[in-house]
Amino acid sequence: MSDTPRLEEALRLVGLSHFTAPVALRERLAFRAADVPRALGAVLGRGFLEAAILSTCNRVEVIAVGRPTNPEPGGQMRAFLSEFHGVGESEFSPSLYELKGCAAAQHLFEVTSSLDSQVLGETEILAQAKEAYRMAAEAGACGRVLHRLFERSFFLSKELRTDGGIGKVQASVSSAAVALANKLFDVKGRKVLVIGTGEMAAGIVRSLRAAGVGEMFVASRTEARAAEFAKQEGGKPCSIHQLPEYLTLADIVLVSAAAPSYILGPDQVRTAVSQRRGRVLCLIDISVPRNVNPAAGEVEDAFLYDIDDLEEVAKEGRREREKVAERWRPRLAEEARECLHMLGDYGVEQAAQKLIEHFNAVRQEVLRQARVAGEDPKVAEATARALERLQGRLLHGPLETLKQAAREGDGAEAMAWVSRLFRLESLADGKGGKEEGKL
Amino acid sequence: MTAETLSLAALGCFALGAVAAIAGFWVEGLRRNAFQFVPAFAGLVLKTASIGVSCMLSETHFFNSASDICGLLAWALSFSFLAALTVCAVRSLGALALPLVSILLGLSHFFDRQGVDPGFPAGRLLAVHILSAFLGYGLFLTACGASVLYLEQARQLKRKFFGVLFRDLPSLERLERLELVCAWLGFGIFIVALATGAVMAHRINRPFWFEPKATAAAMTWLIFGVLVVGRTARWLRGRAAAKFVLAGAAAVLLTFAFRHPKSTQPGTGAQAAPARPAACEPVRKAGEGVHA
Repeated sequence: MSDTPRLEEALRLVGLSHFTAPVALRERLAFRAADVPRALGAVLGRGFLEAAILSTCNRVEVIAVGRPTNPEPGGQMRAFLSEFHGVGESEFSPSLYELKGCAAAQHLFEVTSSLDSQVLGETEILAQAKEAYRMAAEAGACGRVLHRLFERSFFLSKELRTDGGIGKVQASVSSAAVALANKLFDVKGRKVLVIGTGEMAAGIVRSLRAAGVGEMFVASRTEARAAEFAKQEGGKPCSIHQLPEYLTLADIVLVSAAAPSYILGPDQVRTAVSQRRGRVLCLIDISVPRNVNPAAGEVEDAFLYDIDDLEEVAKEGRREREKVAERWRPRLAEEARECLHMLGDYGVEQAAQKLIEHFNAVRQEVLRQARVAGEDPKVAEATARALERLQGRLLHGPLETLKQAAREGDGAEAMAWVSRLFRLESLADGKGGKEEGKL
Repeated sequence: MTAETLSLAALGCFALGAVAAIAGFWVEGLRRNAFQFVPAFAGLVLKTASIGVSCMLSETHFFNSASDICGLLAWALSFSFLAALTVCAVRSLGALALPLVSILLGLSHFFDRQGVDPGFPAGRLLAVHILSAFLGYGLFLTACGASVLYLEQARQLKRKFFGVLFRDLPSLERLERLELVCAWLGFGIFIVALATGAVMAHRINRPFWFEPKATAAAMTWLIFGVLVVGRTARWLRGRAAAKFVLAGAAAVLLTFAFRHPKSTQPGTGAQAAPARPAACEPVRKAGEGVHA
């Protein structure tokens, strides 16, 4: 049996995230991908019809739909986590959140839309949620409820990104660097000069590559490292002594050299700019201590940004994303309510279908028993049609009552009565619910 | 519907677009080109209809009264803004252009409607002259708007102010491109205005170059000419080019400070053109040509 009030109780989510638990605890409760099918089997074995596990570096969450006979689904899920990982409940219970019904669905929507992520608007969580859904579906642990909830959450995540614009503002230092360069010119096809081969430089280079920059030159005091970095990131190594030449050529200069003093000064930049015939030069210095003299930023047509500037842009982006998130949270709550309501309606439809199937089976059985050898086929056909009409007329009343009850919010009671009247036990206790997609 | 009513309706549309353009800096939901384009386009259509009705109904129309100049300039500016929005999608430009269009259109309802007959023979040449001159001015002012945005964005980027303007203004490259395209088009169209003006002056034997308005117009054309040549040859770019456009815009304003002198030659028209009838009653007689 499935309707909104029942689903409100049956849909459960337990988990812990970077907001509630330290990494030391999260890592103890994390699921390896290879263990997920076994874990899902263990959850289903504890009185659940459907289950999915989302385990990332920032969160471990189990969402499941309990059987109506399951007396305490929350406790069962806690017990599962404890048993599966061999961690005492008392160790993680204070950090664990337990949500049910609409709150659980809303949380899933927020997680998938990255509104519950450390970096709002990040895209990785969507891929991770899709993977969790895929694994649950492949393990046969995903039924009607989770199918609908996950699919809706993916749709909403996409909508938030496109219509809500959460992905348009930059929230990381790498994307801030690209955003700053993009405010000067379209970075597509632009030449990049990378001075230094730090890890952070690699991150920004990848972001620039993703944005479509063109040729890239890598210079380092150690030529072998420049060659290695260039090979890894797809650039051309060049000598640090050729900097003046490449400064004229490149549009974006990324400095991450960790040199003890300035590598570039205003005079070098002025000379380069004068030879660029008015083309703007973007200098990004992420070294600490800085390797580009701040006075170089005063040169006309040269724009210099250091790590603090990138952080400031990223912070501004994060604030913008927070605003978007605040606007979208009520919408996600409404979507969760609507989704559960629709699942309830669908449950009534399923019950009606079950009732029709039951009547069809009885009619076929009666016809088979009444068949007489040598009977005129025309008479047999007329009898079958008469019985079919009779069935239609008899069922019309109960089916209309079921629909009416669902509309008025009394679907659960009506379905219980129908199942008792016609002995449709599987409707009431949820047997085989997983396969048939009902609670 | 009278020309006055149409013009007031156009003013309402432009004002609506201006509010949407300015509010778009802060209100996420209004950051769509359509919120500016639709009211501005409606305003342009209404203003065009207003000018059309006015031309059809008035006996003599030289479009050189303060009211006419403001109205036509608003029309030309809205036209070039819409073209720029369609081609370059620089939404922030609306925050400059649409309020200016609204102000000009508003002023046109207060200013003097008394035109002066410059003595030019009415006809197609005059119509082409007026149309090309105002379209040129509209494009020059749009280029000026792009330059203002360029200078502001360059300031934001140089001084590292990462606020609302930084986020909403487009890249320097895009603004520079818009500035150049408008300057090029304005320069080309203004050649037509100057040429037709010179031809008409020649027909009535008036010394064209000694007229202050014509001289200011020629100076405007020259400034934009230097800009497009310098920009194409790449010796004038970035902030310097933007400042050059501002100088050109100042020359445009100077052009409006002067008026064509009244005609002194007999038989070229009335000494002072009659004011446009407020209610625009049909006073044109059958068979008469429409002046511009």
